[in-house]
Amino acid sequence: MTRYVVHRVGGMILVLFLVCLFTYMVFFLLSPDPAVQICGKNCTPERIDQIRENLGLDQPFLTQFLGFLGGLFTGREYGGGTSIIECPAPCLGYSFQTSQIVTDMLVQRLPVTAVVAIGAAVLWLTAGVIGGLVSAVREGRFADRFIAALTLGGMSIPNYVLALGLQYVFVVQLQWLPFPQAVPFADDPGQWFANFILPWTVLAIGYASSYTRLTRANVIDTLGENFVRTAKAKGLQPSLVWRRHALRPALTPVVTIAGMDFAGLLGGALITETVFGINGVGKLAADSITKNDQPVIMAVTLLAAFFVVVGNMVVDLLYSAIDPRVRAGAS
Amino acid sequence: MSLLTVRGLTVAFRAINHDVPVVAGLDFDLPRSGALGIVGESGSGKSMTSLAIMGLLPAGATRTGSIVFDGTELTALPERRMRAIRGDRIAMIFQDPLSSLNPYYTVGTQIAEAYRAHRSGVSRKTARKVAIEAMERVHIRDAARRVDDYPHQFSGGMRQRVMIAMALSTEPELIIADEPTTALDVTVQAQILELLAEVRRDTGAALILITHDLAVVSEVADHLLVMRRGEVVESGTAAQVFSDPRHAYTRALLDAVPRIDDTIGELRST
Amino acid sequence: MIMRDPAAVACLAYIALIVLMAVCAPLIVRISGWDPYEFDQSAIDPDLGGIPLTGGGRGWGGISGEHWLGVEPGSGRDIFARIVYGARASMLIALAATLLTTVLGVVFGLLAGYFGGRTDMVISRVMEFLMAFPALIFMIAVLSALPADDRQYLLVVVISVFGWPYLARLIRAQTMSLKQREFVEAARASGASRAQIVFVEILPNLRSTILVMVTMAVPGYIGTEAGLSFLGVGLVPPNPSWGQMIASSVSWYSVVPAYFLVPGTFLALLVLAFMVLGDRVRAAVDPGGLL
Repeated sequence: MTRYVVHRVGGMILVLFLVCLFTYMVFFLLSPDPAVQICGKNCTPERIDQIRENLGLDQPFLTQFLGFLGGLFTGREYGGGTSIIECPAPCLGYSFQTSQIVTDMLVQRLPVTAVVAIGAAVLWLTAGVIGGLVSAVREGRFADRFIAALTLGGMSIPNYVLALGLQYVFVVQLQWLPFPQAVPFADDPGQWFANFILPWTVLAIGYASSYTRLTRANVIDTLGENFVRTAKAKGLQPSLVWRRHALRPALTPVVTIAGMDFAGLLGGALITETVFGINGVGKLAADSITKNDQPVIMAVTLLAAFFVVVGNMVVDLLYSAIDPRVRAGAS
Repeated sequence: MSLLTVRGLTVAFRAINHDVPVVAGLDFDLPRSGALGIVGESGSGKSMTSLAIMGLLPAGATRTGSIVFDGTELTALPERRMRAIRGDRIAMIFQDPLSSLNPYYTVGTQIAEAYRAHRSGVSRKTARKVAIEAMERVHIRDAARRVDDYPHQFSGGMRQRVMIAMALSTEPELIIADEPTTALDVTVQAQILELLAEVRRDTGAALILITHDLAVVSEVADHLLVMRRGEVVESGTAAQVFSDPRHAYTRALLDAVPRIDDTIGELRST
Repeated sequence: MIMRDPAAVACLAYIALIVLMAVCAPLIVRISGWDPYEFDQSAIDPDLGGIPLTGGGRGWGGISGEHWLGVEPGSGRDIFARIVYGARASMLIALAATLLTTVLGVVFGLLAGYFGGRTDMVISRVMEFLMAFPALIFMIAVLSALPADDRQYLLVVVISVFGWPYLARLIRAQTMSLKQREFVEAARASGASRAQIVFVEILPNLRSTILVMVTMAVPGYIGTEAGLSFLGVGLVPPNPSWGQMIASSVSWYSVVPAYFLVPGTFLALLVLAFMVLGDRVRAAVDPGGLL
């Protein structure tokens, strides 16, 4: 088991490093010269050179990349002469357009995105598991077919269309929900909660649809397993057969995938946050794209990769704790 | 009085507009501590017979006729009372021990589960002790330690021993073994058959052994039932059937059993 | 068999309609009378910030005999024409991306599965790496850094680069099991070359897998293209695309709901049609549910 953990963590660090390198390289090669951007309109070639030197942009790629990596672990300084900006570890860069340290920007936005992700995950897991169970129990009947139609619809509607549609119906027409505006939780918990209802729903519908299908398929498969027949042959109560022998094997993979999807969402629910004007990581990324604020875009990419990779690993380790077969296969 | 009396047992699957029978009017008696072998090819209805006795037929299958177990008519029994008999007084051993055991639980848990389902107020500790004893009885070495192992940590033969231990834990009066050796290696097959014979001797439980392999039955059963397409084509004591098979189908099955002289010939030629 | 299923037929009909629209876009636009880039100041009300006018009232987005599906608020461009041309963009990008993904996925999957060893290890590592990547955010980042002209080619390339590992993984696994089968052994014994074995013996057996994956990939890529355009990194105005039309409707949706309803409905129905069709195809070629 220990060896397995070490092996997985090693693999994770390698992937993260590669993601860093790859992302940095792409931005290094593709992005327009930040010095020109910073310099603005009244620019002279000397001034651009000056900025380049201050930012270390005159250095070769490898030096710059190592500087970036170093900043991640030990922090670094930007600028030169009188205007030195201290960027403590983990330093993800400095946004010249907003004059902020990128790490601070992310730290500010992350809790908001977490709220969006947690609420949505609770909703979609509940709906998906219940929907899947109902479909599985009523396989081939009306309820099953009805749910199947719903899930197809849920998977087909792009979430921004859904977001605009729901907002139009519930906010503009029916006025059941207030017009979204950022309210701190402490000021007005009711309003705060109301603001999140639509984003949670919109995010959850797509996921809930695929989770319903997954749960249904898994439960039907598991009910056909020989060990379920054994459990029945033991004379167990039907509730015990379901709980112990059908649900646990059927739902374990569902929860596993939920973990990965949740981790993926922590990197920002780009579209949902943008449509509803929620100031999370996703909106930050979208705004930075419009402003072409490269350090921020890159930082969000890395953050998202970090969550995906770490999420995958945590889920793998948990899975090996839950399913004894995986443990055996790995050692 | 016999332990199990089956009369006119018919199992049918509901097709679109008619029923397709897979077992048609089966009759047999099984005395206490008796051993009955039901032989036939796949699709002959032998497995459906065992599931019909257990009341575990798949959805869409119906059973008619009479199954009397120790004076109780099973076909008329409400599910709740059938459940009390199932796994307690009648236990079942399935063909593929790996897929028949739940990979998520230790074998100890799964054996204890069978015991606790039928003995109210049994502590976990007692149930665990019963599980270890049952494992020892089927000759699993180091049972006290292995009780906490998962099914995948056992070999095929050992897994089938676990299944037998599970069946034994409640001291049933009837054990139904459905192709218990088919998924196993030949050498292990013999050991499992020996174990089944031993269990029967020691506990006095009656045994129904379902198989497609006449060689398997010949070692364990004292009474034989040969089935084909849902019907019994031949029945009698094992000795009768083997020495004087009356039906052509039985003869064909018998011819498929390798004899010692055949084996020697084969060995030479290879 | 699929032809007897009314839902599948309806989906096919809708898809055929959209394809026809995409192919004959210039012709259709000539009949409807407006080209997608043409401003019609007479269809909007300049005093109300450019809200479309309709005979009596407003709110239906200026739908009239003149403009069949209304006009774009602010500019008065004809929505029908933009939908028709947008279908062109959506379909071209989704189909091209599907084609490229399929080629990459099949080739790398076959290579990894058939040759095994070091080839397999390298390809598998690359696949793992790409699948661990936060694809959407990275796509957006890359696209935002690149120049905006010729976006459609970049879109196809970027979508495919992150898309192929999912198909390749399946192809690899199936190739590995097919490789062991008797008919492949027989071909090898009779002296067939490696290329012959891969293309003549193995590839035809992967047909149904590829078919199912393709029908499932198209709706996914239609959605991806629309999503990227919605976020402003896909096709840029004035080139019409459904996703980008929906994006520009965000600031109008409370006043002119038709403006987002029209492209939203077209898009959702197209994705739905492909999904239903994909489901039916899967049920037809893979009743056991192995894929």
